[in-house]
Amino acid sequence: MRRWAAAVARSWVAMEDFEAFLDGGGLVEADDDMPDPYRQAVFAFIEMHANSELMGGLTERDWIPKTPGLRHKMAVLAKTQDEIGHGHLLYMVAADLGVKTRTEMLEDLFGGRSRFHNVFHYRAVTWGDQVAIAFLVDAAALISQQAVFKDCSYGPYKRILRRIIAEEGFHMRLGEDRMMRIAEGTARQRRMFQESLDRWFWPALQLFGPDSKPDDPLLRWHIKSERNEVLRDRWVQKFVPMLQGYGFSVPAPDLRWDDETRRWDLGPIDWAPLQRTLAQGGPDSARRIGEAADNWQRTAWVRAALSKGGARSDSSTVADNSRVSANGGASASGGNGGG
Amino acid sequence: MSDRSGIREFLLAFADDEHLMGQQHTEWIGVAPFLEEDLAFSSIGQDELGHAALLYELVLELDGIEPTDAAVDQLAFRRSSRDYRSCHLVEYTTGGWAEALVRHWIYDTFEELRWEQVSDSAMPRLASITRRARREEAFHRRHADALLDKLLAAPEARSRITDALQTIAHLVPGLCEATAGEASAIAAGVTAGPTAKLFEPLARAIEERFSPSVGVGTDETGRFVTSATAGLTTTDQDQRTRRSDWFEPLMARMREVLDYDPAAVW
Repeated sequence: MRRWAAAVARSWVAMEDFEAFLDGGGLVEADDDMPDPYRQAVFAFIEMHANSELMGGLTERDWIPKTPGLRHKMAVLAKTQDEIGHGHLLYMVAADLGVKTRTEMLEDLFGGRSRFHNVFHYRAVTWGDQVAIAFLVDAAALISQQAVFKDCSYGPYKRILRRIIAEEGFHMRLGEDRMMRIAEGTARQRRMFQESLDRWFWPALQLFGPDSKPDDPLLRWHIKSERNEVLRDRWVQKFVPMLQGYGFSVPAPDLRWDDETRRWDLGPIDWAPLQRTLAQGGPDSARRIGEAADNWQRTAWVRAALSKGGARSDSSTVADNSRVSANGGASASGGNGGG
Repeated sequence: MSDRSGIREFLLAFADDEHLMGQQHTEWIGVAPFLEEDLAFSSIGQDELGHAALLYELVLELDGIEPTDAAVDQLAFRRSSRDYRSCHLVEYTTGGWAEALVRHWIYDTFEELRWEQVSDSAMPRLASITRRARREEAFHRRHADALLDKLLAAPEARSRITDALQTIAHLVPGLCEATAGEASAIAAGVTAGPTAKLFEPLARAIEERFSPSVGVGTDETGRFVTSATAGLTTTDQDQRTRRSDWFEPLMARMREVLDYDPAAVW
């Protein structure tokens, strides 16, 4: 099947030629005969982003029915709908790479065989957590996505990111607005939100991942444009003064202002919690994945009936897929962002 | 009951149904059978909540209260249980997606009839809300119909859908139950006719939609019924003043954050 772009598929003799094409600002399209390591890397990156959007929606959904206010609930519902909509688009872009179908990606996710961002291995236990996610995590995701968009070499992903970034900007502003109401609110509200910050500050920071390796292929292939530590620092320099400005404390005992660099320094970062989430061993991983898997199972009869009727509940691929095994060639340390 | 109270009761029942139906749809985001359905249910849920907010504003205007978001929320969440006028169908906690889909279809089929009754309302804002709502409701119904077209054609799914219909059918007449003093709303031209009159076209639509699983006949008074709604002409709603057992847990969930700190603005 031909893609709508109908471009002539391009191919490269050697990896050096392909990398020179990328360095020159070239955009790779789904039909192109891209080197397999690049295909695997960009696929794993987009799959993780898609999974994270979906699991982010599941994290937020616990609190949607409890949203305090009718129109407030509509806004929160629209936000989560956006997140799941992003997942929907990203799964289609990922499926076009011909590594896995959408159904295979979802089944791997619900089987605990593929990854999603560390933050969604935690549970939102209060309404304050819901606001902290919209405020801190969406901002972290937005910073990451903006950096990917800036120099992204994979055309279909770059085009989808343009829309995602626009919507994530609204989500972050919604989070900021709700945070400000709490900051100006009652002592009880402020206490609730401080506890949420204590729970979510570090996971949100760790969403950027540890420092990028010197030879990170995602950077070399222009899938990412900036190093993890640079993005992480951008978030720290924005959020530390903002939280303090609203009278909240930053839960970092070694936090200090460095007069020389004119920057906030958080001190050493404990990466063990991130590593645990990567092994599906986060505080809420088992419940999150288990519930999603149970639900997938409970609704299998609908998908079965629709597929028999010729409908496509797995409208997953546009291109004709050649199936190859996915070994997840991309960085395992996060650094993408699904809010 | 004064004319104003009768009109108020009528509008409140409409608003409460929309509110709780929207609320029930919010429960399905992220756990529908596939991503497109997550998106559809959340979109429909937003529409219903939006209609509820607009209808609550009409009630507030009738009460002489400025319809701010805070006043809408006060009305939507802060009444005592006996002051709600929702029907039991929208209070019902479904046992799964099949029931949620069948309820969605029944509710939106009823909604088309209900909005039509107020399309020429003497209350200008209600007529204006209706124009917008009818466009959205037509989409809701098409969505549910498109799914049912396919699911009813597959044997296992058909059996699940039919079971779901039989489970919730006893709640259908309550959907068409009027509030006290509805005659005042009709006399004032707020609505064109009795809500109870919508039962027959609704029952006919149910029979047509789910045929041949659902039979058709007449009851002892000669009234048209389907096998799904036969003998169910009465309800235990007492003009929508009696809440079902599902109501309190649902409302507790909806009020959890509000109750955390009643002085808070979120």
